[in-house]
Amino acid sequence: MSTWIAKIAKIVVLSLVLGSLYLLAAHKHQQRNDARQRPVALTAACTEKLARYGLAVAEHYSSPYALKLSNKAIKSRGYGEDDVRAIQRGCNIIDDTQGQFAKDIARERWSATRFIRGTHVSCDHCHQSIGDKQDAAGNRLKGSLSLGASWVMADMYDRFTGLLLPFELRQMQCYINSSNGYKPNIADDLIRDVTAYSRFLSAALELKIGQHYDEQGIDEIAASATPKQGDDYVRGEALYKQKCQSCHGRQAVGTVTNGQVVAPALAGPNAWNMQSRNYFHYVSTILPGFICRNMPLGAENTLSNQECRDIAYYISNLPRPAGDRQGPLAALQQQALMTVMPPLMRMTESTRKQGDASRTERAE
Amino acid sequence: MKSLTTTVRSLYEQHRPNIHSHLIVGLTLALVTLPQAVAFSVTLAGVPPHFGIYAAIWGVLFCSMLNPSRVFHGGPNTAMSATVGVTLLPLAPPFGAEYMGYALTLCLLAGLIQMLFFVIRPLGRALDLVSEPVINGMICGIGLFLIFKSLTTFGGLPVNTEVEWPLWIAWQSLLAVLEIGNMYAIQIGLITLITCVIAQQFESLRSWAILLGIAAGTLYSQHLNDSVGLQNTMVEQIGNLSSIGFVLPSLLQFNQESMPDIIALVPGSFTLALLGLFQTVAAMRRMSRQVGGFTDSRKAIFSDAVSNCVLPFLSSLPTCASFNRMWLVHRLGMHSRVAIASSALWLLLLVLFLAKIIAIIPMPAMAAVIMLLGANMINWEDIKPHFKDRGDTVVFMASFLSVLLLDLFGAVVVGSILAIAYSKWQQAHPNISVRGNVMKIRGNIYYGSLPVIEATYHAALARDRSVVIDFSECYYIDAEGIRWLAAAKAAANASFTDRRKTENRRTERRGGGDAGRTSDGRRRRVDRRQRSEL
Repeated sequence: MSTWIAKIAKIVVLSLVLGSLYLLAAHKHQQRNDARQRPVALTAACTEKLARYGLAVAEHYSSPYALKLSNKAIKSRGYGEDDVRAIQRGCNIIDDTQGQFAKDIARERWSATRFIRGTHVSCDHCHQSIGDKQDAAGNRLKGSLSLGASWVMADMYDRFTGLLLPFELRQMQCYINSSNGYKPNIADDLIRDVTAYSRFLSAALELKIGQHYDEQGIDEIAASATPKQGDDYVRGEALYKQKCQSCHGRQAVGTVTNGQVVAPALAGPNAWNMQSRNYFHYVSTILPGFICRNMPLGAENTLSNQECRDIAYYISNLPRPAGDRQGPLAALQQQALMTVMPPLMRMTESTRKQGDASRTERAE
Repeated sequence: MKSLTTTVRSLYEQHRPNIHSHLIVGLTLALVTLPQAVAFSVTLAGVPPHFGIYAAIWGVLFCSMLNPSRVFHGGPNTAMSATVGVTLLPLAPPFGAEYMGYALTLCLLAGLIQMLFFVIRPLGRALDLVSEPVINGMICGIGLFLIFKSLTTFGGLPVNTEVEWPLWIAWQSLLAVLEIGNMYAIQIGLITLITCVIAQQFESLRSWAILLGIAAGTLYSQHLNDSVGLQNTMVEQIGNLSSIGFVLPSLLQFNQESMPDIIALVPGSFTLALLGLFQTVAAMRRMSRQVGGFTDSRKAIFSDAVSNCVLPFLSSLPTCASFNRMWLVHRLGMHSRVAIASSALWLLLLVLFLAKIIAIIPMPAMAAVIMLLGANMINWEDIKPHFKDRGDTVVFMASFLSVLLLDLFGAVVVGSILAIAYSKWQQAHPNISVRGNVMKIRGNIYYGSLPVIEATYHAALARDRSVVIDFSECYYIDAEGIRWLAAAKAAANASFTDRRKTENRRTERRGGGDAGRTSDGRRRRVDRRQRSEL
């Protein structure tokens, strides 16, 4: 008799737990649905960009950019209310991934921060100008990681792994490596909205599916594109001090004012990890390519190929998080390095400065 | 040839009176195995369902032919299938041709490693050194891991690929299921789960619980398809199996381009081989004791190794002993290899004729079944004894946690090292008591424990001029120990005693073992000296 009561109690408890989980799921689904229906508060840059490209609810869409370029209005299928909101949210996510300008992060950026380690990373640190970098004349720039140009190349074969990589999976790789984080589920709105925005960009820029454009990806710089001096850590450090230090800081850990990232970390706990393709010792052509075409801000394309490789080499020698496939030991080692190195470097530098000062005094 | 026919005839004579009851047990086994085979291959290993089904057909058949044990039931296994999935995820997308090729290569590598365990005798013997807390800790860890892993399929979401910290993935997957999971999928999964649990409460339905649960889930999903439409529910189903035939030969992924990936498979294949052998040896040991028989574990290792070397060429998952199905065989009360072999043939018939029904089973129902199997692997009755002893607790928790924090291979290594270290530590600390000038040693006298004994001996020597060393409860002395005793004796301040005379007589009457006789001899000598001194 008592065993029967125990069995029934077991079933009842289990049903209650599962039932409450089901109700919780239903509630969360409802919340998500409500968030999808609410109007989106755009960031300043997104307001400007989307207005310039004429995003609106209409039966047809014709891109002002294409009209200016070719004096020919091209009509394509327009966007519904849901689509416009998805594109707007996608733009917000790219511009301000961690929701530093958002009133309600959970509502406006979904759960983006859940998938990012550290406080610095935002998509537009690499995909500059919200994934659509142009010069003053409106020309798209070579090697600027354009999201629109990337979307038209969606589902391409990954050059490194040889896998067929859908646009959504490519985004997941960004989360894992570039943001040193975790991947969202591929069905998450976080990924869907960014895809919607990227697709809209390709329509606004009048890009053709399957075409390769110069602004897609990185203009990689291999060692063969330099005068064969070899990459040099010391040269890199000197160049870093000269060109990058004013924004990214002495230890390359980035600068933050009033809780907002001014220049993102290039090393240390907030930076990309050792399995990112930005990591020089993993793929040696990508970070130099990014630096040459996109850095320093406002003075792009001023560094020589060799200088870019030197700087990239130097940056990649600074301590940064281990990748998640490198195992706990590598992670521990990198964490120790990131904790120990910056104060050590500060100490040696201050003693070196004192030594220099006393030497000059003696000389005088 | 003549001997073969006589064997077959004698087998037939032996089983003729109840051949139909053997067949019925075989059918029951086949019906229980079928959903497991499909679920393991699709949700755990990431390969099409026929891999698991062929493992349940050919794996079971090979094992029942090669393994003389009457209770051994091979076939696809939860932990092994999960290992296949975990090892291959970073290499290729699941269900792809490349992935399947790698899965087969992995299986063959594991089979070859198992063969090494058969050929090198001490290696096979070393499997016995892995203690029960290690295996139970791993089984619990794998159980929890299975629950986590099937969460996304349960919620109708795509599986997270690539390796990350499993606990973190589990948490993320739970949040994803709550926020964006497919509600129809969740409903189907819940109905399957609750039906299974209710059926498990009835003794007579327990073996059929999984089948009933899947039937309930499938019926509900068919109801949804009729009322809402498959295009709206978007619930994944197993899909067509009609291409399955009697046998499906397959080729491994083994060429120059894939060499780096195959090298990356080696640690995984070690884990796979070890997991299979552990479970086979442990399960067979336990079940043989249950039915009061004994089968040499080398024979089981041989049958596993040969099967796993052949199975990859028949597009099949690796095989090893299945605990839950062996329990079922035991409970059905039919310990015979004929029944087990017939289950394989029944399964083949079922698959050939029921392919259309298997095709409409929804994936969330499969995930629910896996979750339940995972939960059943965590059995409090099995674990409870480990918490009575501190060392056992540490070893159990270490191997349990390292499944979740490291991986299966890490768990095996960490758990085994801890278990061996703990038993060595205990041996190195014999219980020594000093009363007056008599020092009594309970335990071993060997190189590891000598420092401890020496410390007490010299402390006692400092108080009294001479010390009597009592061997009554000492059961092993190694060469170094004898040298030390001789030296202590030569210093002329130690004397020896052994008060185990009655016990000696008893062992002598029984005949005693080889080891007993030699130690007896030594003890007698010590006795004589003691008498002369006293």
